[in-house]
Amino acid sequence: MGVWVFLPLLCAGLFAVSAPALSRQLPPAAATWLLSIGSLLAAVGSTVSLTVVGFIFVAQNRQLAQSGHWSGQTLRHGGTIWTPVAVLAVVAVIALAARTALAGWRRVAALRQAYQLAAALPASGGELVVLDLPDRQALAVPGRPGRIVVSAGLLRALDAGQRRAMLAHERSHLRHRHHLHQSITGIAAAANPLLHHLPAAVGLACERWADEDAAQTCRRDTVADALTRAAAGQNRSSFLAGGTVLAAADTEVAARIGALRRPSPPVSRWHLAVLFSLLAATALATFAAAHDTEHLFELAQSAYLHGYH
Amino acid sequence: MVSKGRAAGSLESEVLATLWAAERPLTAGDVAVALGSDLAYNTVQTILVRLHGKGAVHRELAGRAHTYTPVLDDAGLAAQRMRAMLDRGGDHAAVLTHFLGSLTPEDESVLVDLLRRPHRKT
Repeated sequence: MGVWVFLPLLCAGLFAVSAPALSRQLPPAAATWLLSIGSLLAAVGSTVSLTVVGFIFVAQNRQLAQSGHWSGQTLRHGGTIWTPVAVLAVVAVIALAARTALAGWRRVAALRQAYQLAAALPASGGELVVLDLPDRQALAVPGRPGRIVVSAGLLRALDAGQRRAMLAHERSHLRHRHHLHQSITGIAAAANPLLHHLPAAVGLACERWADEDAAQTCRRDTVADALTRAAAGQNRSSFLAGGTVLAAADTEVAARIGALRRPSPPVSRWHLAVLFSLLAATALATFAAAHDTEHLFELAQSAYLHGYH
Repeated sequence: MVSKGRAAGSLESEVLATLWAAERPLTAGDVAVALGSDLAYNTVQTILVRLHGKGAVHRELAGRAHTYTPVLDDAGLAAQRMRAMLDRGGDHAAVLTHFLGSLTPEDESVLVDLLRRPHRKT
Protein backbone atom coordinates (compact mmCIF):
# COMPACT_ATOMS: atom_id res chain seq x y z
CA MET A 1 0.00 0.00 0.00
CA GLY A 2 1.52 3.31 -1.04
CA VAL A 3 1.05 5.77 -3.87
CA TRP A 4 -0.31 2.84 -5.90
CA VAL A 5 -3.60 3.28 -4.14
CA PHE A 6 -4.01 6.50 -6.13
CA LEU A 7 -3.67 4.68 -9.46
CA PRO A 8 -7.46 4.27 -9.98
CA LEU A 9 -7.83 8.00 -9.31
CA LEU A 10 -5.11 8.75 -11.89
CA CYS A 11 -6.74 6.44 -14.47
CA ALA A 12 -10.12 8.06 -13.82
CA GLY A 13 -8.52 11.48 -14.30
CA LEU A 14 -6.92 10.44 -17.60
CA PHE A 15 -10.27 9.07 -18.76
CA ALA A 16 -12.05 12.28 -17.77
CA VAL A 17 -9.54 14.43 -19.68
CA SER A 18 -9.28 12.35 -22.86
CA ALA A 19 -12.63 10.58 -23.29
CA PRO A 20 -14.77 13.48 -24.62
CA ALA A 21 -12.32 14.21 -27.47
CA LEU A 22 -11.59 10.53 -28.22
CA SER A 23 -15.30 9.64 -28.28
CA ARG A 24 -15.96 12.11 -31.10
CA GLN A 25 -13.93 9.87 -33.39
CA LEU A 26 -16.10 6.83 -32.62
CA PRO A 27 -19.50 5.74 -33.97
CA PRO A 28 -22.02 7.47 -31.66
CA ALA A 29 -23.53 4.25 -30.26
CA ALA A 30 -20.12 2.95 -29.21
CA ALA A 31 -19.19 6.41 -27.92
CA THR A 32 -22.34 6.60 -25.78
CA TRP A 33 -21.73 3.20 -24.17
CA LEU A 34 -18.02 3.81 -23.60
CA LEU A 35 -18.63 7.23 -22.08
CA SER A 36 -21.45 6.20 -19.74
CA ILE A 37 -19.97 2.87 -18.58
CA GLY A 38 -16.53 4.49 -18.50
CA SER A 39 -17.83 7.32 -16.30
CA LEU A 40 -19.34 4.77 -13.95
CA LEU A 41 -16.02 2.87 -13.75
CA ALA A 42 -14.04 6.06 -13.26
CA ALA A 43 -16.40 7.15 -10.47
CA VAL A 44 -16.14 3.75 -8.74
CA GLY A 45 -12.34 3.74 -9.17
CA SER A 46 -11.80 7.19 -7.71
CA THR A 47 -14.22 6.46 -4.87
CA VAL A 48 -12.36 3.23 -4.01
CA SER A 49 -9.04 5.15 -4.02
CA LEU A 50 -10.26 7.81 -1.63
CA THR A 51 -12.20 5.39 0.56
CA VAL A 52 -9.21 3.06 0.98
CA VAL A 53 -6.88 5.93 1.91
CA GLY A 54 -9.43 7.42 4.28
CA PHE A 55 -10.45 4.14 5.84
CA ILE A 56 -6.88 2.93 6.53
CA PHE A 57 -6.20 6.28 8.20
CA VAL A 58 -9.33 6.18 10.34
CA ALA A 59 -8.84 2.47 11.21
CA GLN A 60 -5.49 3.30 12.84
CA ASN A 61 -7.47 4.90 15.65
CA ARG A 62 -6.65 2.96 18.81
CA GLN A 63 -10.22 2.41 20.03
CA LEU A 64 -11.47 1.47 16.59
CA ALA A 65 -8.59 -1.01 16.15
CA GLN A 66 -9.34 -2.51 19.57
CA SER A 67 -13.03 -3.05 18.89
CA GLY A 68 -12.33 -4.30 15.36
CA HIS A 69 -9.63 -6.74 16.51
CA TRP A 70 -6.93 -5.54 14.14
CA SER A 71 -3.52 -4.03 14.71
CA GLY A 72 -3.38 -0.27 14.19
CA GLN A 73 0.39 -0.49 14.16
CA THR A 74 0.38 -2.83 11.15
CA LEU A 75 -1.94 -0.45 9.30
CA ARG A 76 0.39 2.46 10.11
CA HIS A 77 3.34 0.57 8.66
CA GLY A 78 1.43 -0.82 5.72
CA GLY A 79 -0.47 2.31 4.75
CA THR A 80 2.15 5.03 4.56
CA ILE A 81 0.00 7.89 3.29
CA TRP A 82 0.93 11.39 4.38
CA THR A 83 -1.56 12.44 7.10
CA PRO A 84 -2.86 15.68 5.48
CA VAL A 85 -3.62 13.72 2.31
CA ALA A 86 -5.41 11.04 4.30
CA VAL A 87 -7.49 13.66 6.15
CA LEU A 88 -8.33 15.29 2.82
CA ALA A 89 -9.42 11.88 1.48
CA VAL A 90 -11.76 11.36 4.45
CA VAL A 91 -13.34 14.78 3.96
CA ALA A 92 -13.65 14.21 0.19
CA VAL A 93 -15.28 10.79 0.61
CA ILE A 94 -17.92 12.18 2.97
CA ALA A 95 -18.64 15.26 0.85
CA LEU A 96 -18.78 13.32 -2.44
CA ALA A 97 -20.99 10.60 -0.96
CA ALA A 98 -23.51 13.26 0.06
CA ARG A 99 -23.25 14.92 -3.36
CA THR A 100 -23.75 11.60 -5.17
CA ALA A 101 -26.73 10.61 -3.04
CA LEU A 102 -28.35 13.98 -3.74
CA ALA A 103 -27.68 13.72 -7.50
CA GLY A 104 -29.02 10.16 -7.58
CA TRP A 105 -32.15 11.09 -5.68
CA ARG A 106 -32.80 14.10 -7.94
CA ARG A 107 -32.31 12.07 -11.09
CA VAL A 108 -34.62 9.29 -9.93
CA ALA A 109 -37.26 11.87 -8.99
CA ALA A 110 -36.92 13.48 -12.44
CA LEU A 111 -37.23 10.11 -14.20
CA ARG A 112 -40.28 9.21 -12.16
CA GLN A 113 -41.87 12.55 -13.06
CA ALA A 114 -41.12 11.91 -16.74
CA TYR A 115 -42.75 8.47 -16.53
CA GLN A 116 -45.84 10.01 -14.93
CA LEU A 117 -45.90 12.65 -17.66
CA ALA A 118 -45.63 9.99 -20.40
CA ALA A 119 -48.58 8.14 -18.86
CA ALA A 120 -50.64 11.34 -18.51
CA LEU A 121 -50.23 12.47 -22.13
CA PRO A 122 -53.26 11.87 -24.41
CA ALA A 123 -52.95 8.42 -26.00
CA SER A 124 -55.21 8.70 -29.04
CA GLY A 125 -52.33 9.35 -31.42
CA GLY A 126 -50.22 6.42 -30.18
CA GLU A 127 -46.61 7.40 -29.54
CA LEU A 128 -47.08 10.89 -30.99
CA VAL A 129 -48.52 13.83 -29.03
CA VAL A 130 -48.92 17.09 -30.90
CA LEU A 131 -49.13 20.36 -28.97
CA ASP A 132 -50.93 23.08 -30.90
CA LEU A 133 -48.15 25.62 -30.46
CA PRO A 134 -46.31 27.76 -33.01
CA ASP A 135 -42.85 26.83 -31.61
CA ARG A 136 -40.49 24.46 -33.35
CA GLN A 137 -39.89 21.88 -30.65
CA ALA A 138 -39.74 18.12 -30.39
CA LEU A 139 -38.83 16.03 -27.41
CA ALA A 140 -38.85 12.47 -26.20
CA VAL A 141 -40.50 11.70 -22.86
CA PRO A 142 -39.20 8.42 -21.41
CA GLY A 143 -41.88 6.13 -19.99
CA ARG A 144 -43.80 2.90 -20.49
CA PRO A 145 -44.31 3.42 -23.31
CA GLY A 146 -42.23 6.51 -24.04
CA ARG A 147 -43.89 9.37 -25.92
CA ILE A 148 -42.83 11.79 -28.62
CA VAL A 149 -44.09 15.32 -28.11
CA VAL A 150 -43.92 17.69 -31.07
CA SER A 151 -45.24 21.19 -31.55
CA ALA A 152 -47.52 21.84 -34.50
CA GLY A 153 -45.17 24.66 -35.52
CA LEU A 154 -42.34 22.20 -36.13
CA LEU A 155 -44.55 19.80 -38.10
CA ARG A 156 -45.59 22.69 -40.36
CA ALA A 157 -41.99 23.82 -40.85
CA LEU A 158 -40.79 20.40 -42.07
CA ASP A 159 -41.60 18.46 -45.23
CA ALA A 160 -42.74 14.82 -45.11
CA GLY A 161 -39.22 13.38 -45.30
CA GLN A 162 -37.93 15.73 -42.62
CA ARG A 163 -40.89 14.87 -40.36
CA ARG A 164 -40.05 11.18 -40.78
CA ALA A 165 -36.42 11.91 -39.89
CA MET A 166 -37.40 13.92 -36.80
CA LEU A 167 -39.79 11.21 -35.58
CA ALA A 168 -37.14 8.52 -36.16
CA HIS A 169 -34.65 10.61 -34.17
CA GLU A 170 -36.97 10.90 -31.16
CA ARG A 171 -37.91 7.22 -31.41
CA SER A 172 -34.22 6.31 -31.28
CA HIS A 173 -33.84 8.23 -27.98
CA LEU A 174 -36.66 6.17 -26.49
CA ARG A 175 -35.69 2.80 -27.96
CA HIS A 176 -32.07 3.01 -26.83
CA ARG A 177 -32.97 4.50 -23.44
CA HIS A 178 -30.64 7.46 -23.82
CA HIS A 179 -32.04 8.94 -20.62
CA LEU A 180 -30.40 6.10 -18.67
CA HIS A 181 -26.99 6.73 -20.23
CA GLN A 182 -27.34 10.40 -19.37
CA SER A 183 -28.52 9.68 -15.83
CA ILE A 184 -25.66 7.25 -15.10
CA THR A 185 -23.13 9.78 -16.37
CA GLY A 186 -24.72 12.62 -14.40
CA ILE A 187 -24.54 10.65 -11.17
CA ALA A 188 -20.98 9.49 -11.91
CA ALA A 189 -19.96 13.12 -12.42
CA ALA A 190 -21.35 13.93 -8.97
CA ALA A 191 -19.19 11.19 -7.43
CA ASN A 192 -16.08 12.28 -9.32
CA PRO A 193 -16.00 16.02 -10.13
CA LEU A 194 -13.17 15.39 -12.63
CA LEU A 195 -15.88 13.92 -14.88
CA HIS A 196 -17.79 17.21 -15.15
CA HIS A 197 -17.38 17.39 -18.95
CA LEU A 198 -18.74 13.87 -19.45
CA PRO A 199 -22.51 14.57 -19.23
CA ALA A 200 -22.26 17.02 -22.14
CA ALA A 201 -20.14 14.52 -24.11
CA VAL A 202 -22.71 11.77 -23.54
CA GLY A 203 -25.48 14.21 -24.49
CA LEU A 204 -23.79 14.90 -27.82
CA ALA A 205 -23.09 11.19 -28.42
CA CYS A 206 -26.78 10.37 -27.79
CA GLU A 207 -27.94 13.08 -30.20
CA ARG A 208 -25.49 11.84 -32.83
CA TRP A 209 -26.70 8.27 -32.24
CA ALA A 210 -30.32 9.34 -32.79
CA ASP A 211 -29.28 11.35 -35.88
CA GLU A 212 -27.55 8.30 -37.39
CA ASP A 213 -30.59 6.14 -36.61
CA ALA A 214 -32.80 8.72 -38.33
CA ALA A 215 -30.42 8.63 -41.31
CA GLN A 216 -31.30 4.93 -41.71
CA THR A 217 -34.84 5.93 -42.72
CA CYS A 218 -33.88 8.66 -45.19
CA ARG A 219 -30.92 10.47 -46.73
CA ARG A 220 -28.36 12.00 -44.34
CA ASP A 221 -29.02 15.40 -45.88
CA THR A 222 -32.71 15.13 -44.96
CA VAL A 223 -31.87 14.70 -41.26
CA ALA A 224 -29.49 17.67 -41.48
CA ASP A 225 -32.17 19.75 -43.22
CA ALA A 226 -34.72 18.84 -40.54
CA LEU A 227 -32.30 19.94 -37.81
CA THR A 228 -31.50 23.15 -39.62
CA ARG A 229 -35.19 24.00 -40.13
CA ALA A 230 -36.02 23.20 -36.50
CA ALA A 231 -33.15 25.31 -35.24
CA ALA A 232 -33.95 28.21 -37.55
CA GLY A 233 -37.30 28.75 -35.88
CA GLN A 234 -36.03 28.80 -32.32
CA ASN A 235 -37.56 31.54 -30.30
CA ARG A 236 -35.89 31.83 -26.96
CA SER A 237 -38.85 33.29 -25.14
CA SER A 238 -41.22 30.65 -26.45
CA PHE A 239 -43.31 28.13 -24.57
CA LEU A 240 -41.24 24.96 -24.59
CA ALA A 241 -37.80 26.45 -24.95
CA GLY A 242 -37.59 28.07 -21.53
CA GLY A 243 -34.39 30.03 -21.01
CA THR A 244 -33.22 27.67 -18.27
CA VAL A 245 -33.44 24.70 -20.59
CA LEU A 246 -31.42 26.23 -23.35
CA ALA A 247 -28.81 27.40 -20.90
CA ALA A 248 -28.63 24.09 -19.06
CA ALA A 249 -26.99 21.92 -21.69
CA ASP A 250 -24.77 22.58 -24.69
CA THR A 251 -25.29 19.86 -27.22
CA GLU A 252 -23.83 21.25 -30.38
CA VAL A 253 -26.39 21.31 -33.16
CA ALA A 254 -23.90 22.70 -35.63
CA ALA A 255 -21.48 19.81 -35.01
CA ARG A 256 -24.32 17.35 -35.59
CA ILE A 257 -25.34 19.02 -38.84
CA GLY A 258 -21.71 19.00 -39.96
CA ALA A 259 -21.39 15.28 -39.21
CA LEU A 260 -24.58 14.55 -41.17
CA ARG A 261 -23.37 16.50 -44.20
CA ARG A 262 -20.39 14.14 -44.42
CA PRO A 263 -20.61 10.40 -45.09
CA SER A 264 -20.34 8.40 -41.86
CA PRO A 265 -16.63 8.07 -41.06
CA PRO A 266 -14.88 4.69 -40.71
CA VAL A 267 -14.40 3.37 -37.16
CA SER A 268 -11.11 4.55 -35.69
CA ARG A 269 -9.65 1.43 -34.09
CA TRP A 270 -6.87 3.50 -32.57
CA HIS A 271 -9.25 5.74 -30.59
CA LEU A 272 -11.30 2.72 -29.58
CA ALA A 273 -8.17 0.93 -28.35
CA VAL A 274 -7.00 3.90 -26.28
CA LEU A 275 -10.39 4.28 -24.57
CA PHE A 276 -10.67 0.54 -23.92
CA SER A 277 -7.15 0.42 -22.45
CA LEU A 278 -7.92 3.35 -20.14
CA LEU A 279 -11.06 1.65 -18.90
CA ALA A 280 -9.29 -1.67 -18.45
CA ALA A 281 -6.50 0.06 -16.52
CA THR A 282 -9.04 1.81 -14.29
CA ALA A 283 -10.81 -1.47 -13.56
CA LEU A 284 -7.56 -3.34 -12.87
CA ALA A 285 -6.15 -0.60 -10.64
CA THR A 286 -9.43 -0.43 -8.71
CA PHE A 287 -9.46 -4.18 -8.22
CA ALA A 288 -5.79 -4.15 -7.15
CA ALA A 289 -6.37 -1.33 -4.64
CA ALA A 290 -9.34 -3.13 -3.11
CA HIS A 291 -7.43 -6.43 -3.03
CA ASP A 292 -4.35 -4.84 -1.42
CA THR A 293 -6.51 -3.27 1.26
CA GLU A 294 -8.15 -6.58 2.03
CA HIS A 295 -4.72 -8.19 2.29
CA LEU A 296 -3.47 -5.43 4.59
CA PHE A 297 -6.44 -5.92 6.91
CA GLU A 298 -5.87 -9.66 7.02
CA LEU A 299 -2.28 -8.95 8.06
CA ALA A 300 -3.45 -6.48 10.70
CA GLN A 301 -5.95 -8.97 12.08
CA SER A 302 -3.41 -11.80 12.34
CA ALA A 303 -0.93 -9.35 13.93
CA TYR A 304 -3.63 -8.48 16.51
CA LEU A 305 -4.06 -12.17 17.31
CA HIS A 306 -0.30 -12.36 17.89
CA GLY A 307 -0.50 -9.57 20.43
CA TYR A 308 0.43 -6.52 18.32
CA HIS A 309 -1.95 -3.61 18.96
CA MET B 1 -47.12 -5.28 -38.19
CA VAL B 2 -44.26 -4.11 -40.35
CA SER B 3 -44.72 -2.45 -43.70
CA LYS B 4 -41.70 -1.80 -45.91
CA GLY B 5 -39.33 -1.86 -42.97
CA ARG B 6 -41.30 0.58 -40.87
CA ALA B 7 -43.38 -0.38 -37.87
CA ALA B 8 -47.12 0.30 -37.89
CA GLY B 9 -46.75 2.70 -34.94
CA SER B 10 -44.31 4.91 -36.79
CA LEU B 11 -46.54 5.00 -39.89
CA GLU B 12 -49.41 6.10 -37.68
CA SER B 13 -47.26 8.94 -36.32
CA GLU B 14 -46.27 9.98 -39.82
CA VAL B 15 -49.87 10.09 -41.03
CA LEU B 16 -50.95 12.08 -37.98
CA ALA B 17 -47.99 14.44 -38.39
CA THR B 18 -48.96 14.99 -42.03
CA LEU B 19 -52.51 15.96 -41.04
CA TRP B 20 -51.17 18.43 -38.48
CA ALA B 21 -48.76 19.96 -40.96
CA ALA B 22 -51.45 20.47 -43.61
CA GLU B 23 -53.68 23.02 -41.80
CA ARG B 24 -56.61 21.90 -43.99
CA PRO B 25 -58.66 18.68 -44.23
CA LEU B 26 -56.89 15.99 -46.26
CA THR B 27 -58.22 12.93 -48.08
CA ALA B 28 -56.41 9.59 -47.86
CA GLY B 29 -55.11 10.31 -51.35
CA ASP B 30 -53.70 13.68 -50.25
CA VAL B 31 -51.90 12.02 -47.33
CA ALA B 32 -50.48 9.28 -49.56
CA VAL B 33 -49.16 11.91 -51.99
CA ALA B 34 -47.66 13.98 -49.15
CA LEU B 35 -45.92 10.93 -47.66
CA GLY B 36 -44.33 10.06 -50.98
CA SER B 37 -44.55 7.18 -53.37
CA ASP B 38 -43.42 4.40 -51.04
CA LEU B 39 -46.72 4.18 -49.17
CA ALA B 40 -49.71 2.53 -50.81
CA TYR B 41 -53.07 4.35 -50.77
CA ASN B 42 -54.64 1.35 -49.06
CA THR B 43 -52.10 1.43 -46.24
CA VAL B 44 -52.79 5.11 -45.61
CA GLN B 45 -56.54 4.46 -45.72
CA THR B 46 -56.17 1.67 -43.13
CA ILE B 47 -54.11 3.88 -40.82
CA LEU B 48 -56.60 6.76 -41.10
CA VAL B 49 -59.50 4.46 -40.21
CA ARG B 50 -57.53 3.19 -37.22
CA LEU B 51 -56.69 6.74 -36.09
CA HIS B 52 -60.35 7.69 -36.45
CA GLY B 53 -61.32 4.68 -34.34
CA LYS B 54 -58.99 5.85 -31.58
CA GLY B 55 -60.36 9.38 -31.73
CA ALA B 56 -57.15 10.96 -32.98
CA VAL B 57 -58.73 12.41 -36.15
CA HIS B 58 -62.07 13.89 -37.26
CA ARG B 59 -63.64 12.48 -40.40
CA GLU B 60 -66.01 14.34 -42.72
CA LEU B 61 -67.60 13.39 -46.00
CA ALA B 62 -66.65 15.92 -48.68
CA GLY B 63 -68.19 14.95 -51.98
CA ARG B 64 -67.35 11.31 -52.55
CA ALA B 65 -64.27 11.10 -50.31
CA HIS B 66 -63.69 11.33 -46.59
CA THR B 67 -61.47 14.14 -45.40
CA TYR B 68 -59.51 14.03 -42.16
CA THR B 69 -58.36 16.64 -39.65
CA PRO B 70 -56.40 16.01 -36.46
CA VAL B 71 -58.31 16.18 -33.16
CA LEU B 72 -56.98 18.82 -30.80
CA ASP B 73 -55.92 16.73 -27.82
CA ASP B 74 -56.74 18.04 -24.40
CA ALA B 75 -53.04 18.26 -23.70
CA GLY B 76 -53.35 21.40 -21.58
CA LEU B 77 -52.57 19.75 -18.27
CA ALA B 78 -49.82 17.56 -19.71
CA ALA B 79 -48.30 20.58 -21.43
CA GLN B 80 -48.31 22.47 -18.13
CA ARG B 81 -46.51 19.61 -16.38
CA MET B 82 -44.00 19.41 -19.18
CA ARG B 83 -43.35 23.12 -19.04
CA ALA B 84 -42.88 22.88 -15.28
CA MET B 85 -40.29 20.14 -15.78
CA LEU B 86 -38.43 22.12 -18.42
CA ASP B 87 -38.49 25.29 -16.36
CA ARG B 88 -36.99 23.50 -13.37
CA GLY B 89 -33.95 22.82 -15.54
CA GLY B 90 -31.18 20.50 -14.36
CA ASP B 91 -32.16 16.85 -13.98
CA HIS B 92 -35.81 17.49 -14.74
CA ALA B 93 -35.12 19.08 -18.10
CA ALA B 94 -32.31 16.62 -18.86
CA VAL B 95 -34.52 13.53 -18.88
CA LEU B 96 -36.61 15.06 -21.68
CA THR B 97 -34.40 14.74 -24.73
CA HIS B 98 -34.89 17.54 -27.27
CA PHE B 99 -34.60 17.13 -30.99
CA LEU B 100 -32.17 20.01 -30.96
CA GLY B 101 -30.39 19.08 -27.77
CA SER B 102 -30.08 22.74 -27.03
CA LEU B 103 -28.66 25.81 -28.64
CA THR B 104 -25.78 27.86 -27.38
CA PRO B 105 -25.35 31.38 -28.81
CA GLU B 106 -22.37 30.06 -30.81
CA ASP B 107 -24.57 27.34 -32.29
CA GLU B 108 -27.03 29.98 -33.40
CA SER B 109 -24.45 32.00 -35.28
CA VAL B 110 -23.01 28.90 -36.97
CA LEU B 111 -26.52 27.90 -37.97
CA VAL B 112 -27.16 31.25 -39.58
CA ASP B 113 -24.03 30.61 -41.68
CA LEU B 114 -25.20 27.10 -42.57
CA LEU B 115 -28.56 28.45 -43.68
CA ARG B 116 -27.00 31.08 -45.93
CA ARG B 117 -24.53 28.66 -47.53
CA PRO B 118 -26.15 26.54 -50.27
CA HIS B 119 -25.30 22.98 -49.36
CA ARG B 120 -24.23 20.07 -51.52
CA LYS B 121 -27.05 17.94 -52.90
CA THR B 122 -26.27 14.29 -53.47
